[in-house]
Amino acid sequence: MNKERVSIQRKKRVKFFLIHAVIIFAAAACVYPLLRIFSISLRPGDKLFSTDLSIIPAGANFSAYASLLKDTMFLRWLWNSLVITLSTSLIGVSLASTAAYAFSRFRFPGKKAGLILLLSSQMIPAGMLILPLFLMIMKLKLMNTYMGMIIAYSVSSLPFSIWILKGYYDTIPRSLEEAALVDGTSQVGAFWRIILPLSTPALSIAFLFNFTAAWNEYLVARVVLFSSKQYTWTLGLFELQGQYITQWGMFAAGSMLVTIPVLCVFLYSSKWLISGLTLGSVKG
Amino acid sequence: MEIFKSVYEVVWFILLIALGVAALEGYFYYHFKYHDRSWFIPAALAVFPAAAMAAAAPILGQYTFRLWLEFFLAEIFIASAFRYLVKGRHTVPYLLLAPAFAGLALLLVYPFIFETYLSFHDLKLTTIMMWKNTGRIPFVGIDQYVKVFTTSPLSEITFWALLGRTLLWTFTNVFFHVAGGFALALLLNNNIRFKGAYRTLLVIPWAMPQVVAVLAMRGEFHSQNGFVNIVLAKLTAAFPFLVHLGIGPVQWLSDWPLATCTLINIWLGIPFMMVVILGGLQSISSSYYDAADIDGASYFQKLRYITLPLIRPVLMPAVTLGTVWTFNNINVIYLVTGQSGGTERADILVSALYKAAFTYNRYSYSAAFAIVVFALLFFISVTYLHGFDAAKEER
Repeated sequence: MNKERVSIQRKKRVKFFLIHAVIIFAAAACVYPLLRIFSISLRPGDKLFSTDLSIIPAGANFSAYASLLKDTMFLRWLWNSLVITLSTSLIGVSLASTAAYAFSRFRFPGKKAGLILLLSSQMIPAGMLILPLFLMIMKLKLMNTYMGMIIAYSVSSLPFSIWILKGYYDTIPRSLEEAALVDGTSQVGAFWRIILPLSTPALSIAFLFNFTAAWNEYLVARVVLFSSKQYTWTLGLFELQGQYITQWGMFAAGSMLVTIPVLCVFLYSSKWLISGLTLGSVKG
Repeated sequence: MEIFKSVYEVVWFILLIALGVAALEGYFYYHFKYHDRSWFIPAALAVFPAAAMAAAAPILGQYTFRLWLEFFLAEIFIASAFRYLVKGRHTVPYLLLAPAFAGLALLLVYPFIFETYLSFHDLKLTTIMMWKNTGRIPFVGIDQYVKVFTTSPLSEITFWALLGRTLLWTFTNVFFHVAGGFALALLLNNNIRFKGAYRTLLVIPWAMPQVVAVLAMRGEFHSQNGFVNIVLAKLTAAFPFLVHLGIGPVQWLSDWPLATCTLINIWLGIPFMMVVILGGLQSISSSYYDAADIDGASYFQKLRYITLPLIRPVLMPAVTLGTVWTFNNINVIYLVTGQSGGTERADILVSALYKAAFTYNRYSYSAAFAIVVFALLFFISVTYLHGFDAAKEER
């Protein structure tokens, strides 16, 4: 009896050990490339192309960071990205917030068609619309400007934001608005004073989603922006990596500087993001 | 007549006309209370464009018909705005929707129409200046569509080869995403220590900005300094018999570009599936498993008859989404092979489309290509959704 229990316990321990081993291996595969970037960013300038695999290299220093900030326009690229991204997210969220309210609270002809249009617009290959957008921006003489980028990005996350917000509005009880209507405010007033403040969590998730989508975008920026002064950071980093003599150190340093904040924000918000991702599809 | 010279200016022109006419009509509406009369809108549709045409014909000459068309479109626009926005019972929701749908119409629907227009014309590097200056492009009918199937979008690869490669790419990626994600989720769903920490570490590839992740992974596949080849070299040095099995450092980026892209994309895509599946697993009540334990079910029986059916509602949308994303994934392939001197042996349909437009500057060709790809994707998803519905009804 006692022997059997010991063997079961041992079996369990072996099983847990195996689980941990496999997960740790997978986690290492996920984290190691990031650690490698970190290690390359610390390498002294003459050892960039070493086959060394240690994480803190010999003679580690921050010269790559210093020269990235001093010799390239990295800060300018970050600033460009920030301006474009903030504007598009603000536009996207404000458009989505009212549209989602209409879908959530009203019955009107064309409601179903509108929702289907939103869903099916997600099916259009993104790469397909880049060409006409590029030609439109060219014709409007907005190439290489913030404005052109903002126009190109502003509606790309709109359908998704509307779905998230609609799902959230649906959970707010109607009686709250009805009470406000009885107290004499208009429908729009009820939306502005009651629904919007209550849905701050969903609004911030939609904002974050818009933000990360535009912040990490590369393909549209590649064709709209062509002078390095106007580059977003994605273009800048690609250029650092793509030149004949790859500036690995600076590329790695820039990657670290961009990745750390994005990573923090993502890990912080991932729970809501995922529930939003699955919500629309399950409910639809 | 500069004003007619481009499609965009025509749109602006329609809007301007619409505003003017709207002001006039609004006056009629409110002052004479015409909105009660059923003849008003048909009459407006006929009279305003005709009047505009009559007034402008002597000056405009050949553009008369165009002007009439524009007035007519503007009139439809205004009449429906009045009918549904100002006088209808649903003013508030339509007004709330208006900004978003105006944005979508201008930046999603209109580009789509414009792309269709382009695909029947011939816009390329040699005609783009003409288009910029005069707004005219030679009309070529279905030539571009014929070319899509008969000539290469890049320099060698054909449409059919690209299609085959795309299907292979989509299938391989989605298969490994789901398999890897499912395995990791099953492991994480055990009652183990450091679960939260593991989960955080495992989503890092998804959380990193994709540009950084792909470029960094691309570096790791470098023939000399990349992690993959360093490890392979060390392995063959330690175990010489591996060389006889054909294992050793390879030129990933030049000899195996598609494999490299696929490996990178699998690495990128597993976390999403893992998180979604884990969410599904955690929502399954443990009482099912307890009951199965009492009945003496084996691990695989429980997996087959409890876990799989119960996570299906979570898994199916995620797989659909993942398939569409993978099919449309330009990012990974372009970032790995898109630099000057890059190979085309890893290109799938959408990345070939992007390169045809912006590396080879064949605008109309790639517009036709895009329409074909869209039709394909549309056909696949309709068939798929149809099957999905049928499966739903069966249950």
